Amino acid sequence: MAYNIFVLVKQVPDQGSKAGLNPDGTIDRARAKRMLNPFDRYALQAALHMKKAYGGSVTAISMGPPPAVEILLEALEHGVDRGFLLSDRRLAASDTLATAYALYKTVTYVGKFDIIFCGLQTTDGDTAQVGPQLAERLGLPQISYCEDFSIQNGKVHARRIIEGGVQKVLTEMPVLVTVANSYHPLEYKSFRGAWRVQQLQRKQDELKQYIQTVDLDIVGADPERCGLKGSPTIVAATEKVGDIGGNCTMHEGSAPETLVRECLTSTKIDGFLVTAKS
Amino acid sequence: MTEQQQDAPQPDVSQFCPKGDVLVIAEQILGELQPVTMELLGAGRLLANKMERRLKCAVLGYKLGDMPQKLIEYGADVVFVADDPELHMYRTLPYRRVLVDLLESFDEPPHTCLLGSTTTGRDLAPRIAAHFDTGLTADCTELDIGPYEHKSKVDPSKIGLYPNCLYAIRPSFGESLKARILGPWKNPQMATTRPGVMIPLKADPNKQGEIKKIPVKLQPDDYRLIVEETIREASKGIKLTEADVIVSGGYGLGSKDGFDLIRELAACFENSAVGASRKVVDLGWIPYQHQVGQTGKTVRPKLYIACGISGAIQHRVGMSKSDTIIAINKDPDAPIFKFAHHGIVGDCFHIIPEMIRQFTELKKAERGVEAVVSTH
Repeated sequence: MAYNIFVLVKQVPDQGSKAGLNPDGTIDRARAKRMLNPFDRYALQAALHMKKAYGGSVTAISMGPPPAVEILLEALEHGVDRGFLLSDRRLAASDTLATAYALYKTVTYVGKFDIIFCGLQTTDGDTAQVGPQLAERLGLPQISYCEDFSIQNGKVHARRIIEGGVQKVLTEMPVLVTVANSYHPLEYKSFRGAWRVQQLQRKQDELKQYIQTVDLDIVGADPERCGLKGSPTIVAATEKVGDIGGNCTMHEGSAPETLVRECLTSTKIDGFLVTAKS
Repeated sequence: MTEQQQDAPQPDVSQFCPKGDVLVIAEQILGELQPVTMELLGAGRLLANKMERRLKCAVLGYKLGDMPQKLIEYGADVVFVADDPELHMYRTLPYRRVLVDLLESFDEPPHTCLLGSTTTGRDLAPRIAAHFDTGLTADCTELDIGPYEHKSKVDPSKIGLYPNCLYAIRPSFGESLKARILGPWKNPQMATTRPGVMIPLKADPNKQGEIKKIPVKLQPDDYRLIVEETIREASKGIKLTEADVIVSGGYGLGSKDGFDLIRELAACFENSAVGASRKVVDLGWIPYQHQVGQTGKTVRPKLYIACGISGAIQHRVGMSKSDTIIAINKDPDAPIFKFAHHGIVGDCFHIIPEMIRQFTELKKAERGVEAVVSTH
């Protein structure tokens, strides 16, 4: 059985890097360093694992401005077979509902699938909503917070996290799976994969066979349901979070021994220590 | 209210949910009501009072016993109960079906619908929101009701002054900012709130309320997923949310091995646990269960030691209510020093071993002496 495996990936600003940070702490997306959403690395690993263990091909799908093609190239280096980027100015300011709609149209355009893997959430939105919203649009069962899975007799057996425990579930395909970050981390890309992509980048015509950029018209999405217009929520206001303590007693400029002693004398930390008798 | 808003002609938006109530979706696991439900009822009560609406609650499960009564005691005016063997364990599709049917049975949709930002709430809420094409804000830390005037001409159909609008407030990414998200155009206005943040009401055994059974009519498609087993984990070590002392590590530790030092420091304390910032969880240095902050756990220990954690807003919302916060960081300008109580500027790999050494000395000094342990 050759499975059609889809994986959704997103390019996000790298919050760990100081580049692109405005003085007030907001992110300037144009200047910020870009990266593959860290949560998507687990989804990518799950998709590649499924291909390796059970056969099939992996299609990576993304939505974003043109530079997002970088993460599709990265996915290709890791062993993904092809990529699709939905890129359209009319998608600007989409909230999760509008995003899920646009992805639904893209997924349907790309074709038949058995399973869709998504990251748990993105680091720039933190909502964890798009996966289940997409599943709703597609009318699929879903396995969220999945931390392990296997395929037996064409069915997906999975372990998912619940509050204070885990749940073992079994479902048929097609299904949408959001992969928890307790799943296996993404393996390093192979030299062969990296080399292949390097070669491809020199031949743009050939690259187009592997990575396609599509827009709303191509996938048949209604622009009224995308972007700001298609989004039922807006960010109406932002406010600075006031400093809570503001009274930090600083210990600095001395040797570690002095710093620690200063700090310990002033905090009565010893009250919490494991006592000698234990 | 600004003058401008008062003077502007006020388009008629009274058709927007004039009577809709506030609906809380309760969460129970194997008959155990989850604390976030009481928190949601506490928050929902305030919203309902502000709009002079009723607070409704829906609870799904099997053999729920006196749970509906309990929900009334915690603030609900009306409780909808779906008690059915098929709902024994949470499954997305059956729960979704029952709730969608319930919402569609109302003459007017609820004004607001709230769920917990738990693994269950985050699994279920987006399905319902997408079904009704309505807005959903994840992981809120504050909720309120207030007016909103929409003036943007991008979509003229949205222009208007909306008197009762759900303010869903959550920290905004990578920033020391809170974002107020709203969407008064469509009801229910939905939000999930993070566990441990909203304040529950005190249970009132005399509170009156109405309990209504609701039908469970599943369709063949709803049975596509089977739960084979639900395992509640006996806590491995001490739970983060119950620890008196938490030692947390961040990116400043440099590598996975840095957590050995964190564990060693944590072991110096009674009833302690190891926490982590999201970045290092993302990097796979430590499992997700240890994550403190916006997308992890909210904790309020007596003592919180943050090692190599910069103190981004996402982390801060999860631990800022700790009694005492000690931060260790190389960077004197790290945001964590803005809200820690004690800051040590230095390299974790120098400071932590020194702390451990001094603790060990202290312990030696205390040997034989009545211990000064205050864990409660």
